[in-house]
Amino acid sequence: MKLLKPSWVNHNGKPIFSVDIHPDGTKFATGGQGEDSGKVVIWNMAPVLREEDEKNENIPKLLCQMDNHLACVNCVRWSNNGLYLASGGDDKLVMVWKRAAFIGPSTVFGSSSKLANVEQWRCVMILRSHTGDVMDVAWSPHDVWLASCSVDNTIVIWNARKFPEIVMTLKGHTGLVKGLTWDPVGKYIASQADDHSLKVWRTMDWQLETNITKPFSECGGTTHVLRLSWSPDGQYLVSAHAMNNSGPTAQIIERDGWKTNMDFVGHRKAVTVVKFNPKIFKKKQKNGSTPKPSCPYCCCAVGSKDRSLSVWLTSLKRPLVVIHDLFDKSIMDITWTLNGLGLLVCSMDGTVAFLDFSQDELGDPLNEEEKNAIHQNIYGKSLAITMESQLASTIIENPEMLKYQQERQRNPNPNGAQGSGHENQTPKLTNVLNGESLEDIRKNLLKKQVETRTADGRRRITPLCIAQLDTGDFSPALFNSVPILPGSSASTQLTPQISSDSSTANSLGLRPSHDPTTTSPNKTAEENKDSGPAPVNSIAMKSNLLLTSASKMEPMKALDSRFTERSKATPGVTSVPITIGITPLDRVKDNSSAKELKVKDETSSDSEDKNMVKSLSLVKRKVEMEGGEVVEKRKKGRPRKDAKMMMPISQPIPQTPVSVEKEPSRLVTPVVALKLPTPSIRKSFSTQVGTDSITYLEVENDVSVVSGARLSQLKWSREGREWDTLLPSRIIIATGSSDVVAVACEDRTLSVFTACGRRLIPSIMLPAPMSALHCSGHFVMALTASATLSVWDVQKQTALVKNESLNPILSGTDATVSQSLLTQQGVAVVALSNGKTYCFNTSLETWNLIADKQDSLVQCADFRNCLSSQDALGSMGPLALTQGRNLSAGRLASRLSSTPHNLQQGITLAFLENQLSSALILLSASEYRHWLLIYARFLVNEGYEQRLRELCQDLLGPVHKSSSSSWEPTVLGLRKRDLLTEVLPVIGQNLRFQRLFTEYQDQLELLRIK
Amino acid sequence: MAKVQVLNVAVLDNPSPFGNPFQFEITFECMEDLPEDLEWKIIYVGSAESEEYDQTLDSVLVGPVPAGRHMFVFQAEAPNPALIPESDAVGVTVALITCTYRGQEFIRIGYYVNNEYTDAELRENPPNKPNYGQLQRNILASNPRVTRFHINWEGCAEKMEDSENVDPAPNAMLPPSCTPGKAPPLGLVPDNSMDCL
Repeated sequence: MKLLKPSWVNHNGKPIFSVDIHPDGTKFATGGQGEDSGKVVIWNMAPVLREEDEKNENIPKLLCQMDNHLACVNCVRWSNNGLYLASGGDDKLVMVWKRAAFIGPSTVFGSSSKLANVEQWRCVMILRSHTGDVMDVAWSPHDVWLASCSVDNTIVIWNARKFPEIVMTLKGHTGLVKGLTWDPVGKYIASQADDHSLKVWRTMDWQLETNITKPFSECGGTTHVLRLSWSPDGQYLVSAHAMNNSGPTAQIIERDGWKTNMDFVGHRKAVTVVKFNPKIFKKKQKNGSTPKPSCPYCCCAVGSKDRSLSVWLTSLKRPLVVIHDLFDKSIMDITWTLNGLGLLVCSMDGTVAFLDFSQDELGDPLNEEEKNAIHQNIYGKSLAITMESQLASTIIENPEMLKYQQERQRNPNPNGAQGSGHENQTPKLTNVLNGESLEDIRKNLLKKQVETRTADGRRRITPLCIAQLDTGDFSPALFNSVPILPGSSASTQLTPQISSDSSTANSLGLRPSHDPTTTSPNKTAEENKDSGPAPVNSIAMKSNLLLTSASKMEPMKALDSRFTERSKATPGVTSVPITIGITPLDRVKDNSSAKELKVKDETSSDSEDKNMVKSLSLVKRKVEMEGGEVVEKRKKGRPRKDAKMMMPISQPIPQTPVSVEKEPSRLVTPVVALKLPTPSIRKSFSTQVGTDSITYLEVENDVSVVSGARLSQLKWSREGREWDTLLPSRIIIATGSSDVVAVACEDRTLSVFTACGRRLIPSIMLPAPMSALHCSGHFVMALTASATLSVWDVQKQTALVKNESLNPILSGTDATVSQSLLTQQGVAVVALSNGKTYCFNTSLETWNLIADKQDSLVQCADFRNCLSSQDALGSMGPLALTQGRNLSAGRLASRLSSTPHNLQQGITLAFLENQLSSALILLSASEYRHWLLIYARFLVNEGYEQRLRELCQDLLGPVHKSSSSSWEPTVLGLRKRDLLTEVLPVIGQNLRFQRLFTEYQDQLELLRIK
Repeated sequence: MAKVQVLNVAVLDNPSPFGNPFQFEITFECMEDLPEDLEWKIIYVGSAESEEYDQTLDSVLVGPVPAGRHMFVFQAEAPNPALIPESDAVGVTVALITCTYRGQEFIRIGYYVNNEYTDAELRENPPNKPNYGQLQRNILASNPRVTRFHINWEGCAEKMEDSENVDPAPNAMLPPSCTPGKAPPLGLVPDNSMDCL
């Protein structure tokens, strides 16, 4: 045994009341008296363990000190998972600390010590309930509860998963409660108080299990603390100060019948603290004493007011070692290292001592199997799986496992947001400071700060916020900001979330009536009033936007009446819906320059305007057929009530009628159920291809007139390279991917070119005008105005989806298509205005719901703990695209909701499984992987062993090839076994699953060798 | 526990002529959004003998204070010489910064202030009537004395019963005995040493 008193661990001579080693063994906390407050200090363990680290000035000794407690700190305890530190003090408070990621080192202002805090531990929760000094705190196995006891004679059980919720206040002690310990099996909690009693409470109903008084009847209330301890096998509870024949002892209480037949004797004054070693040992005795050689034993350290420390093995009748005069004052607390070989003791005299044992002295720690056997024997079940408190004593059997454990320890924050080292934590304040350095800000702070006068004339300064408090939570902003892939597959103006279009469209009906072309503004205004929603949205209005009078009305009615009227008035005119030109000026030019009637021309002449104004009185929509030429059909019951709704322009889309200009393509006018909006025809427009923002498609309609026919030009350019081609009809939509370019023309043809401009297939004749067109890879997706969907693979020249109707998803709802997109894998996704998003599954030929804003699972699922920082990046893809907004909302909701944990667990599980299957159906490999890892992490965190096993089994597949196996080795092009390789480290982070980990690790290894 | 932690106070424009305004750049951190403003005060102790010479140089409200780390500069006019006993004008005295929330003081930061003549002649033979125009004020910025008080952050001025437990030691901030005009230079350093941002 080696003994060390690290003098640098001190509270400037003030008493140290508590010490606790972090579960990862890299640091320890002390609590006690500060200058004029309570003090909690977190110290680096390395300089205690190694002399060279102690001498190395680059290795910090003090990591963080917190003087937030207003009075002496009596107890500090790390949570079993190491994420939190709980402290309780004379200020009646329990504080829960968490390491903050984003704020750099700082000092305690005004303290004489100029040492900066290397780590930032921030009080994330203050638990107020006690009305007297808090003497001891203890985390339950699993960190489900935190217990605190106080001189107010009570014990408070806090819900550690929902601070500051109080599960129960245990009342019954009639004196100051000075010590707490949880049963490692999780069935009991024991408390010792000055009222000469030790009480054991059941965690099942929080009622008293037993009240032990006899050994304590002679005790006086002379000790500051009574820290009792439960043995790691759960069999023994050892009390602090007890008396036996007028001598101070530590009473051993057997779990079986709460018998009090044995005690640790020898200390000359009251025992203040007992602490069991987290490990169970076994050893063949060499000292000649004769317990059964195989009998495992526990190790226990006892500290006393007599300033001495004794270490006992339950197999020995005498203490293993007794150290006298280690301190000048009473021992206050003891803590063991994870491996069971190190021991830190603190004293009222303000010093700590470190004891380093060898295995020869203590024995060989039991490995997991032996320990399981013991538990199996005693409790009929293996604690290793269920009890996290046992993890501290779990032996890591597998070197791989050790690696992952170490990685986890290096990065205890699941968000991974903090740097790994102590030294290089730079404050990340730039977000708040807009990139200005703090120095710059400070220079001008006085001038810049906002100072006002209150009503009573006092100065009031608005402080400059230089950093937001970081609670380590995953920021939902990353999800919020998922863009709608501008310029990629969803690049045309039909992507409603690129909102200028839709909002402009909506503002159509809301135009103020100062338009010079308006002939009867009053009427318009009236109409406006009649027709529903108040005009609100006119953000995108442009003053030069020359629109018809119809545009001043509520869109639908106005347009309806207008079209009917118009078809009467100018039967030959093709009326294509009003849409907002992105380039309105062009249109105006168009209108004025071309005397011939234009297909799109809805605005040109005054007489027409008048007609339309007349038609305004026709409030009800009429369906009229004029000479069978113009057919207008419009699905009713989908009024766009909300001008702000993110919906595409959904005006009726009249069919191209016979035109007076004898354009051959317009001769046939089939009757089509019109459901989807189509974009307007613009004189020219350009669109970006792909996400790289260097490839552009430019369209110029009616560039030249060749022998009476107007030609339209399509120009493709990419970093100077370009090609162009001419089309005989005006182009409505042009879009492209890295492989192909597709354009839809007014004459309902669809042309597809390679990225080099070569025509791939002769024009495809569409059954209805194009509503939306997307390209992705070599896939082309067409959504027609008659609400049918087609997807082609133009490389293989096959149809993946053939004229599939959107009826199944549209019927029975008031919804319209608000967005559509095509994934890289050729999966068509259609989002509806009712918040639901579907994709078409080509193998099942079904529409599958992949996102729903109203989905309560989304609202309540809480998997933030399972996210790592990389996850945010990995989630880009079609699924995130369609769900992004909802997900963040869900996470926020989960923070607010008060769903019981088990319910939330179930919700989250269901949600994650939905996500997985959605990613699968979207063929989105990266998202599948992303959600798989989150899913796995969730299963690991929440202990769903069955599902975890099933998941691993599916990923691993059969180890031996057999013909009957239907196992697919890949999923979405990802090799399942590679996925398993990724999942295993996740599993490896939880020692509870080390069996599972080892099992699959070994099999994977085996397969790899094969 | 205190919802507001003062992280740093930087003394600006120091040393400076006696008539210059006091400037303190205060950085503090707040655990949660404060529904009410903080009130900061600068108090100049005119004479160590009696509190009656204390001058509150200024008080400001600071708010709104959301959770997070904030900073502001508190500027206050120099003390009114007319209110300072002539015998105490030169020499060491104290300036206090206090902060109250809901009428309860939770922190008091004290600085020793040394007022002396820059002119050697004057220093040797200080005039009977202090020449404030020649006095230089030097705040011992590197050595603030911070006293924190336990207050009730939730309710209004209801006194915490045990606040006396943490009252500052009496006279903790009294200046050391010092002969006026004979104070040695305090060897001040700019107060950046604690600023770890």
